[in-house]
Parts: sequence; structure tokens; C-alpha cells
Amino acid sequence: MHTSSKLTKEFTKKWLKGLQICCSSKKDMDVLERKKKIKLCADIALASAKNATTSWSIALISEAKKNDENEILVDNLLGPESRFKQQNIIRQMNSCHKRVRSKKILKKSCSISQRMKKMGPPKSNLAAYIAKRLVKKRTQVLQRLVPGGESMDEFSLIKEALDYILSLRVQVDVMRNLANATEVLNQSNSSNVFD
Amino acid sequence: MGGEGEIDGGNRDDEQMHYNPMVDSFDHTAPTIWDHHPTNSQNLGAFCDMNMQNIATTSSSSLGFYKGNLFAPTRNLDACWGPTDSAVKRGGMFFPPGASAVLPHGLSQFPTDSGFIERAARLSSFSGGSFENVIIPFGNVHESGLNPYRNRPQVQPQEGFVGNGFKSPSGDGSKETPLPVDCLTDDGRQAKQGGSSFSGNNLAGEAEYSGGGDENSNEGLGSKKRRSDQDTEYNQVKRSPQTPSEITKNNNECQPKGENNPSSVANKSSGKHGKQVSPSSDAQKEEYIHVRARRGQATNSHSLAERVRREKISERMKFLQDLVPGCSKVTGKAVMLDEIINYVQSLQRQVEFLSMKLATVNPRMDFNLEGLMAKESMESRLGPSGSLGTDMAMPYALNQSQMAIMQGGIPGVGRSSDARRTVNSHLMSISGGFKDPASQVPSTWDDELHNIVQMGLHPSTPISSQNLGSTTPGHLKAEP
Repeated sequence: MHTSSKLTKEFTKKWLKGLQICCSSKKDMDVLERKKKIKLCADIALASAKNATTSWSIALISEAKKNDENEILVDNLLGPESRFKQQNIIRQMNSCHKRVRSKKILKKSCSISQRMKKMGPPKSNLAAYIAKRLVKKRTQVLQRLVPGGESMDEFSLIKEALDYILSLRVQVDVMRNLANATEVLNQSNSSNVFD
Repeated sequence: MGGEGEIDGGNRDDEQMHYNPMVDSFDHTAPTIWDHHPTNSQNLGAFCDMNMQNIATTSSSSLGFYKGNLFAPTRNLDACWGPTDSAVKRGGMFFPPGASAVLPHGLSQFPTDSGFIERAARLSSFSGGSFENVIIPFGNVHESGLNPYRNRPQVQPQEGFVGNGFKSPSGDGSKETPLPVDCLTDDGRQAKQGGSSFSGNNLAGEAEYSGGGDENSNEGLGSKKRRSDQDTEYNQVKRSPQTPSEITKNNNECQPKGENNPSSVANKSSGKHGKQVSPSSDAQKEEYIHVRARRGQATNSHSLAERVRREKISERMKFLQDLVPGCSKVTGKAVMLDEIINYVQSLQRQVEFLSMKLATVNPRMDFNLEGLMAKESMESRLGPSGSLGTDMAMPYALNQSQMAIMQGGIPGVGRSSDARRTVNSHLMSISGGFKDPASQVPSTWDDELHNIVQMGLHPSTPISSQNLGSTTPGHLKAEP
């Protein structure tokens, strides 16, 4: 997709920059730690490449920032000018969380009464009722998958999921290419050593 | 078993099928009645006969009122008013003011003065004082009386159509009632196109605007166009059979909004999404998201907002079908969501796996040029793509295909060999032209990585990469 090439470049730059920062800080890490760092760098780079246009990216970065270790990394990756914007957006996110929480409480209080009423009608249209429940369950699962999905309604959740899928694709492609390249290099190096 | 969207769509279709013939015929006859007066009674009779077959007629007090004051009671008229009245009862206002305007014109035996029309319009207010609320969804009409109608008589024909019919009792009926008739005549035929274009504009605008959130992202450009295309398609498919009944639907949706704050409904539906159609984007667009209430469905504000939401979701689902592989046949929200979930999960797992792989491949986690530079010095003995390359490619391809989950299988093979060739050629060139590590490292590194990335994206360019073996890093920058 030519439209994602820009995203690809941005992501690659930021990811490598983040990785350099990571490996400059510590020296010896085991595989799991490295993997975590790599993944973290990739996620943050992806989210920042979006430049705070989508809410999942904002949610991802805000989650990463909660961990103090990552703050330096995040700030460096984001850049100074977007830092303020990010803070504002994070504040919005927090308020949005509160709003969502209150909404959920309201829904729960209402849903009980609704369920009492609904005992009659579902029998007539059982298929629709079942379908609705299925959809509900799956939206819940999707909410858990997409970062920041809990604070979204169904419609925006799908929109965010779309965007998230596209960016994940980009991420996977870049990572795969790099992994291939380094692996090939290693193999060629090892073969050279044997030669 | 389809998803929610399917079931709803099925219901809608059934009702429309049931409802349309009557409306269609009425809509068609309406302009003809105004144009050809002599044939009116016949048309009405035919129409009423058909309605008699379709709809059980009930007489109401208003009907009696009509009969007593306005018309010499004839069988045709009774029949006409019967079905319309029952239609009114069932689905809100079936524009009896419009009908009343129709009949006087058609049946010249009745007084056709504006006073009569006004009276008829006032009589039609039996369905309550909800006419003021009828205007609500049509933006500023409520505040500025009939002015918006005057300003935009042709832009939203069915709005003016409805607004007039219902405004006349509340506003200055005498002045405006000639207008509705004219509006009807002028726009009755345009109602179909205007309605479809309007709804197309509206929903396309919504889709465009809601896609505005993605505007900054690169994918948004392609996806926005796609969505608007799908929207217009969707609208043309779905809206055109409904435009004759749109007026009634508008009435349906408008009627129960009696006590509510006029703007709260539309705001609610728009506020749910956190966005509104920006009025500046198109002069014809309203400030609120318009909803077509379908006949027979609940018309309270909650369900209307729900329907808006559902329709948007189904639009998104169509877009998702293109995005998520293997979803072209799948319909229904639940299954689509399932596919999306699976895809997202698999992509996330891929990321985890690749990061693990990178962690294992790079023991020192040096993803910078230094590590690669150290390796390239050993690699300088290698030719651009010697026999070793092919040997390397084979086991590597097998390895790759095992690892690839979704799409990486076959293209991954190509990518790996390309990447290898690219890396080799790049490193050769770098070693050839490498002089000052400090300045050149970042630029060549970026270019190299970008080329690696683009090798994966554009497998057609490996040929050009072969030539890089002889180029200097300066030429690398010129690569796209």
C-alpha cells in the first residue's frame, strides 16, 4: 500500500532510534528482556508514528508512560513538540475514562431493569437476541485487544480496530524484514566463519 | 443466522416492500393530480381502491371532521381519507395537509382557496402539537420558522415538503400554504433524486467527516474515498426505493419527539459519535445527522440513534471486509467481529514472535550500523549474489514459510532473498564508499533500512538493487 509507506518510514526511523536508546542504557539482558524491549520500542514507535491522530495510539503511549522506566524512551521518541500535545490528550483520555466509567455504571443499573422487561420479547425473536449477545461478547473481546478499547463505543471501536490493523500490518512487515536481514547476515557470517 | 444488521435489514426490507406500493403510487399520482386536473378523481379513485385492498380503513373523528367541513362526502373521498388516516395512525402523518392540498386541486368542485388549505392543515394537527418538533431534524427550521424553507426550497425538497405541511398550523398558515403546494408540484418529482442525493450527501458527509479523524493518517486517504464510495453506493441501493416513503418516515421520526428538547435527539445521535457533520463543509448539509425512521420501527430517540450507529457500523464492516483477508463472503456483524478479532490476535502474536526472533538473532541488541559494519567486513569477500546466496535462500525460505502465519508465506520468500541481496549489495557499497562513519552512518543506515523495507513492499525493484553494488552511498540516497 503506497499510502502506508510514509507510516512505514516513520515507524522504522522511530523504532531504530528507540532501539538505540534502549541498548545504550543497559548492556546485558537476557532474551526475554530484550524481546520486551524490542516489542515496547516497536509499539511506541508505531503509536508515535501516528502522531496522536488515533485514540488507540494515544492509549498505547499513555499506558507505556505509566511505567517510569519507559518515560525517557517515550519522550525521546515522541519529540519535544508533541510532548505537550500528548499531555493534553492524556488528560482528555483520563476524563474520557471517567465518563465511560460513569456510563457503565448507569448502563448496569439500567440493564437490570431492562432485563426484567426483556423476558417476554426475547422469546419471540430469539435469533436476534442471541445474535445481539454474540455481538456484544465479541465487541468486548475486541475492546480488550485494541489498546484503549474500553473507553470506546462500538462504532469508534471498529474504526480504531481498522486503523490498528493497518498499523499492525506495517509493524509486522518492518519487523519481519529486519529480522530476515539480520538473520541472513548472521547466517552468512557464520558461513564465512566456517570458510 | 445472520447478525443484527442482517436481521434488521431483513425486517426493513419487508416493511418497505409492504409499504412502498401505496406510497409510490401516491407519490406518482400526486404530481399528476396537480397537473392534470380532470383525471384526478380517477387517479384518486384508483389509488383509493388499491389502498382499500391493502389497508383496512378506519374512520376517525378527524375524518368526520373533514367530511363535514371540507368535502362533500363521496365514496372516493371517504376511501381516500380512510387509508390515509389509517396510514396516519400507523405511521404518523401521511401528509394529509399535502393530501388536502392535493384533493382541492384535483377535485375542482371543492374550494381551493388558501383558507381552505389552511383549515385543512390545521385539521391535520389532530395528531398533536408535534409538528413543531417535526422541523427539528431539519436544522434551523425550528428556530427561524419557515425561513430555511424559503432559503432552500430546492436543496432539501422533502424537508420543505414536510416542513410546510406541518409548519402551516403552527406558523402563519395563510401566507405559506400556497408555497407548499408549489413546493409539492415542483419538488414532488425531484423528491426522489433530491432525497437520494440528500441522504447520499448526508451520509457520505458523515462518513467523510468521521473519516476525518483518519485524515491525518496515510491510510485515511484511501480509506476515506473508499468509505464515501461505499456510502454512496449503499445509499443509492438502499435509499432510492425509500425516497417516496421518506416523507412519511420523516414524519414518523419527528412525531414522538414531542417533549424532548428539539435538538437533543439529533445531538444525541451525533454526540454519540463525538462528531457532527460540519456545516461549513457543504452549504446544503444540515447540522444534525439525519435519520430516516422506517415505518413500523420504534421511533423514539434512542432507537433512532441506535439505527444511525448501526448503519455506520455496517458501512465500516464493508470496509473491513476488504481489509481482513478472507472476509468477502462473510456477512453479519458477529462473524465479522470474529474475523477481526482473529486477525488482530494473529497480528499481535506475529509481532511478539518477531520481536522474540529479533531478540535471539541479536545477542547484543545492536540494531545500528556498527554491528552490521562489523559483519560486513567479513562479508566483503562475498559476491553480490553468489552461489552461496541460493544455498542460503533455500533453507531460509523453508524457515520463513514455517514462520509466516498470514500472508508472509510466499512473498516472504521473495522478500528474504531480496533483503539478502540488498543487504549484501548495500554493505558492499558501504564498505566501498565508507569514509567518515560519523556523518555517513545515520544516512546510509536509514537508506539501507528503507530499502530493506521497500524491498519487502515492492518486490519489483530487486533488479535495481543489484546495480547498487557498484554505486556509492551518495547514490543510495537517490533511491526511492
